[in-house]
Amino acid sequence: MRMPNAKPPINRRDFIKVTFVAGAGMIIAVALPGCGKKASPGPFLQKEAQEWFTPNVFISVGDNEQITITVHRQELGQGVRTALTQILADELCAKWENIRVLQAPADDEYGDQLTGGSQSIQNNYAFLRKAGAVGREVLIRAAAESWGVDKATCYAENGMVFHKDSDKKESFGKLVALAVKQDVPFSASVDNKIPADLMFIGKSMQRVDGFDIVTGKAIYGLDVRVQGMLFATVAHSPMIGGKVSSYKPEGALGVKGVKQVVPISNGVAVVADSTWAALQGRQALEVTWEGGAADLSSDTQEKDLFAQASRNAPDSPEDLTAYYTVSYMSHVPMEPMNCLADVREDSFEVWAPTQNPQGALDKATQVAKVKGTKRLNVPLVGGAFGRRLELSLNGASPVSVDYVREATEISKSIGTPVQVVWTREDDIHNDMFHPLSITRVSAKLADIKTLKTFRSQVSGPVPTGNFRAVNMIPEAFSHEIFVDEFAVATGTDPIALRQTFLRERAFAVVQLAAEKAGWGSSMAAGMGRGIAYHATWGVTHVAQVAEVSVENGQVKVHRVVCAVDCGVVVNPDIVKAQMEGGIVFGLSCLLKKPITISGGKVQQSNFNDFPILRIDEIPDVEVYIAESDESPTGIGEMSNPVIAPAVINAIFAATGKRLRTMPIRPEELS
Amino acid sequence: MTEISFNFNGKKQKVDIEPDTPLLWVIRDTLGFTGTKYGCGIGSCGACTVLLDGEAVRSCITPVSLVEGKKVVTIEGLSKNGDHPLQKAWVEEQVSQCGYCQPGQILTAAALLGKNSKPTDDEIKTAMVGNLCRCGTYLRITKAIRRVIEEGGV
Repeated sequence: MRMPNAKPPINRRDFIKVTFVAGAGMIIAVALPGCGKKASPGPFLQKEAQEWFTPNVFISVGDNEQITITVHRQELGQGVRTALTQILADELCAKWENIRVLQAPADDEYGDQLTGGSQSIQNNYAFLRKAGAVGREVLIRAAAESWGVDKATCYAENGMVFHKDSDKKESFGKLVALAVKQDVPFSASVDNKIPADLMFIGKSMQRVDGFDIVTGKAIYGLDVRVQGMLFATVAHSPMIGGKVSSYKPEGALGVKGVKQVVPISNGVAVVADSTWAALQGRQALEVTWEGGAADLSSDTQEKDLFAQASRNAPDSPEDLTAYYTVSYMSHVPMEPMNCLADVREDSFEVWAPTQNPQGALDKATQVAKVKGTKRLNVPLVGGAFGRRLELSLNGASPVSVDYVREATEISKSIGTPVQVVWTREDDIHNDMFHPLSITRVSAKLADIKTLKTFRSQVSGPVPTGNFRAVNMIPEAFSHEIFVDEFAVATGTDPIALRQTFLRERAFAVVQLAAEKAGWGSSMAAGMGRGIAYHATWGVTHVAQVAEVSVENGQVKVHRVVCAVDCGVVVNPDIVKAQMEGGIVFGLSCLLKKPITISGGKVQQSNFNDFPILRIDEIPDVEVYIAESDESPTGIGEMSNPVIAPAVINAIFAATGKRLRTMPIRPEELS
Repeated sequence: MTEISFNFNGKKQKVDIEPDTPLLWVIRDTLGFTGTKYGCGIGSCGACTVLLDGEAVRSCITPVSLVEGKKVVTIEGLSKNGDHPLQKAWVEEQVSQCGYCQPGQILTAAALLGKNSKPTDDEIKTAMVGNLCRCGTYLRITKAIRRVIEEGGV
């Protein structure tokens, strides 16, 4: 998702000292175990801090040595809670083992919290380094003043301030009382560390949530529990655009555990004392629906898009023209949509696994219509891939912020905290899908630089939204397959061809991937090799070489070699993990099934008919990270657009068959 | 309503509940242990995997009546201090991305290694094939399981 950076990283001129109430209602807090050591309780677990030094909203240093880092972007699996913590902690010179990570609630105090467009590191790296450096500077000044020495003769390291010219040293915790009396300097007056002094940036620090995840302690949206809460399911229209005509609550109310049946703006909610009772109740509920787009069909839409895309297409023999289709696809994060809302007479609190806390809070505020305090907390998010950006591509669509609105509506109606739980079927039927599109690409065979792209894409009424890399998916798919087709048509090597139009940094990753993959070396019979390059949002350069075979119409991807240049790397292992995971994600898009619409209804409903890749279907993956001093760029959406064209090009090399659809249509291979 | 008794994470447990209630919702909503996840409700994704007498089962399609007299282990009960070899290997290999599917992945792996201390790569794939991961952490899941095998098993 690319969007203008609507707000500056922080809506104040600079960092200022803030009043901070430790841990107030912030529901995700983890203490970091030492690297490779068994988790041991830090000193802060034995003694609560009495006083805190809080130079800005991101950092708090306790007099018990505890460092609290507040992360203002959402953890979706992309590793942001770890990476942002590394940046802040490095400049602060914190001791890693003493850090506790909190998740910020929705609050403009933190600046823009929208977690999309692979922008969390890109937009916050320089800024958070300064936020950490400011904290370090104050601690150093406090120590220097107490020792009566020049601050230039002092330095900080591993949670301590040291005096270079003597053996004087003091821990951050013991400096808190002095630090709170200091003015916090403007960040421009404070220097960043020099690269050689960096301790965490550039290192593969273990994920801050790793231990909690594998022990079942991690709290995702569906795991939030509050006193007196109830559970709700919502009967949604089975047809796109349909509305409730009438309903009979009796059947649902007859289910043990069902408390209430509540009409809401887009359906009927069944509220119960357990999730299972709510699900049973919904099954027993009778709803009659009306309206909806009964003649809506994705097949018809695709034909219409092709007619649009082919209008005025060049048809001279000097031109190469091809059409590339990308189907509707569903996000299917493993954790289905859900939200817990507690709307009271004069306040409300929401727990939403969202990528867009501020947008979700705005929506909840509109619906709750209460004066007084409001709060939106973000638990861990069990996958998002753009679904939880709450932004529809269909304009001001009623589907935006849907699950947050539902929970808030229901809680307001019944006056009790309630968790809305979507089943997987709800999740697929009510997704904002990756939009169906057909892209025409053409070029004069004499010159690749004449390449032109024209895309026809649906614009409703099927709800569409942001899907990991968004329009970069058809962009990379059409462009990179076309380049391969052009190379074939002109008898050029696809890598030599790319050298004629890619800039230096881009071509370097192409060369790196090709070299590591052994491009040009011989392969076993039936095997083929293909390459693709793309820079999602124009920022991070990724090239992938895929090695595939096709047997009995089945594509098998054996090996993928990936090269990436994302500038300065904060955490190499997380970069690698995003490349690996993106390849698997992109292969699901290419090798599995599309979402189809017929009779106004989404035809798929669960993992049985909208499958994703399983462990026995994945290739070996090698990832190579280019060394770079350039500013860091994003990583979350960089890998998945590249793999599909690389595999398509490899299928051509293996079989001579040129496929142009995502997902591939098996009949084209038989 | 029926009273059902079973061993839950090493302790005796009784619940008075409709016998066809899926074990998943008994664990999550009745007993309050949320490490076992809902992902699909049809036994297709493995997020809800628990150990039933050492076997990996899909708790979302297992009626609670079937666990009468049996041993149920969830991710919270796999080890006392989170130091089961698989949990340690998962952290060491940095397997988790969003992490939502990982408790189910770990329990499926625990059932495999409980029966077969040295599975081949193919046996690992066969055992793990029912556990989906949308983040695509499969490579590291295999690496973590191999690490446990190399370091002496569970």
